[in-house]
Amino acid sequence: MTRFIESTITFPYKRSLGPVVGAFMTALTEKQILGIRCQDAVLVPPMEWDPSTGAELPHEFVEVGPAGTVESWTWVAVQSEQHPLDHPFAFALIRLDGATTPLLHAVDAGNPEAMSEGMRVAPRWRGTRAGRIDDIICFVPGESVETEGEDTGGAAEPVTRMDYLASITYRNPVPEAADRATEASREHRLLGLRCPDCGRVYAGGRGLCPVDAIELGPECEVDLPHKGTITNFAIVTPVQYPGQTETEPFVRAFVLLDDTDVIIPYSAVIELPADEVRVGQRVDAVWASPAEETEEGGGMGGSWGSLLGWIPNGEPDLDDPDLVNRIF
Amino acid sequence: MSAPSTDIAVIGWAQTPMVRHTDKSETQLLMDAITDALTPLGLQRADIDFTCLGSCDYITGQAFSFVSNLDAIGAWPPKRDSHVEMDGAWALYEAWLRLQEGDIDIAVVTGSGRSSTGDPALIYPMEMDPYFLAPLGADPLTFAALQARAVIAAGIADERRMAEVAVRARGTGDVESLLTEEFIRQPLRRHDVPPITDGAAAMVLATGERARQLVERPAYVTGFDHRTECHNPSFRALDDSPSTRIAAEAAGLGDAPVEVAELQAAFTHEELLLRSVLGLGDDVTVNASGGALKENPIMATGLCRVGYAADHIFGGGNRALAHATSGPCLQQNLVCILEGRS
Repeated sequence: MTRFIESTITFPYKRSLGPVVGAFMTALTEKQILGIRCQDAVLVPPMEWDPSTGAELPHEFVEVGPAGTVESWTWVAVQSEQHPLDHPFAFALIRLDGATTPLLHAVDAGNPEAMSEGMRVAPRWRGTRAGRIDDIICFVPGESVETEGEDTGGAAEPVTRMDYLASITYRNPVPEAADRATEASREHRLLGLRCPDCGRVYAGGRGLCPVDAIELGPECEVDLPHKGTITNFAIVTPVQYPGQTETEPFVRAFVLLDDTDVIIPYSAVIELPADEVRVGQRVDAVWASPAEETEEGGGMGGSWGSLLGWIPNGEPDLDDPDLVNRIF
Repeated sequence: MSAPSTDIAVIGWAQTPMVRHTDKSETQLLMDAITDALTPLGLQRADIDFTCLGSCDYITGQAFSFVSNLDAIGAWPPKRDSHVEMDGAWALYEAWLRLQEGDIDIAVVTGSGRSSTGDPALIYPMEMDPYFLAPLGADPLTFAALQARAVIAAGIADERRMAEVAVRARGTGDVESLLTEEFIRQPLRRHDVPPITDGAAAMVLATGERARQLVERPAYVTGFDHRTECHNPSFRALDDSPSTRIAAEAAGLGDAPVEVAELQAAFTHEELLLRSVLGLGDDVTVNASGGALKENPIMATGLCRVGYAADHIFGGGNRALAHATSGPCLQQNLVCILEGRS
């Protein structure tokens, strides 16, 4: 029975707007909607380039609307969390007065029977506007512009940037080999998989040989030594971003296991300050004590399970100039 | 683009089972598809000179997800490899270009996606225009519905003909009862929209002599072109698909009749619009496979169209058209013409 793991990824984008979209967004804060002149047409939303020729357009803005005419529409009976309204509404192509092209936006019409091609609509503005397309909450039937809440006025400075938070939840299968590697780590075993074709050994719960492109099942499992040599390392100075818990520079080392060709990549080190880590240093695996066990496993996460990292074992360094080349 | 001086042919392809939800990873799907495409040809991964994989990080939920997909091609010793963040049909286009350099013989292309990993209705709006569309949650069903309305207004489709397309594609249901169903996005009903499908496909291409050594009847690529339109549907005529028309002309559709056409029409009205734009008459068998309305493995759907068109040639057919599309309201369109030779 395959296990699935759910994760939510967020991308906090900060988008620069440029001279045309920026002018449009700045005008929105003033409750104005701008188009741009393109030959005989007025494009809404404005573009920097002529969509038919790609030629750059002079920045000749034209105020349009605020009311407009519905050219086409569809009814959203079940809205999503991303939609502008928390109840059923219409998405419509709205040709604002003075515009040549239609703008896609929401219409809060109550029910689909209230929608028709040719109907007149006007914007419902947010009281506090940030210079985003959703400063217009939606359009409403009729000619009357609305403002929701207290009107805090236009932006003091031109709007040059737009924040957009993309957030997606994924549900992914966990390969059986990854789960088996994690389980073995609970017994403080470092599990490898030996390819029956090429003999290469892989650690970390990869259930396949990428050289021969075949799956490696439980029959391929081998126990790997808990002793190795640091081949290379990086000292990471943490930059503070959402989710970063480290505050001080820390080491990530690559460890070649004894008598194998297996590299344990990007490993944590223990009782080894950043200024003392060396290529060739001999290290032993450190496993989480029962008290240190967490749902997420030890310091390395993922299929490494209870493996916390590597500690210097006092043996003399290996002197091999080729070691540094081994990070895979 | 018309045929190059070197013959380049599709010589085989394979797809995984197309399911609503798979337990396999994308890499595992690709391992199966590539093996199944190569084995009947007597080829091994070591025989592949060039690979190009089509997939999408946004669907997978992992940056550089195509890197782990390389595990499925056996990239050691190092191989010539490329990737497109597009349907596998565009990977095929790149491989076709690459083979024209003339220094290599065999290429494998893939398309893969696990749509069940996330909620497509929430993912695709984030891929839209980031300033004017994404913040509104403008979703694929909305765009499809607005295009359907335009296509109906132009007289190219109506709700009945759309239901007929759905019944023919899926081989189930009857038109009368489908037309009594509720709209999910007026004028679209459930039967007008594609299923969510997990799956992958792999295709093998070979040049001239090598193709003829490996299979009895290669499906020669005699024309191949793709064109795109403005990204924002506000600026497009939704009742037309000029990029499809231009790509088809450039691929030589008009040179001779085709017997079959495989069109990537995820929505019923798209099939009717594409038929109209391509000028396909009733004598052309369209989407005998069921098309994207039956199985819609995003990132592989277009490549499967080429696969089914190639099957027609392998089975003795003379000329077939495959079409693939990308973006809202048929924004970008690809046309590939395949021919057999006696």
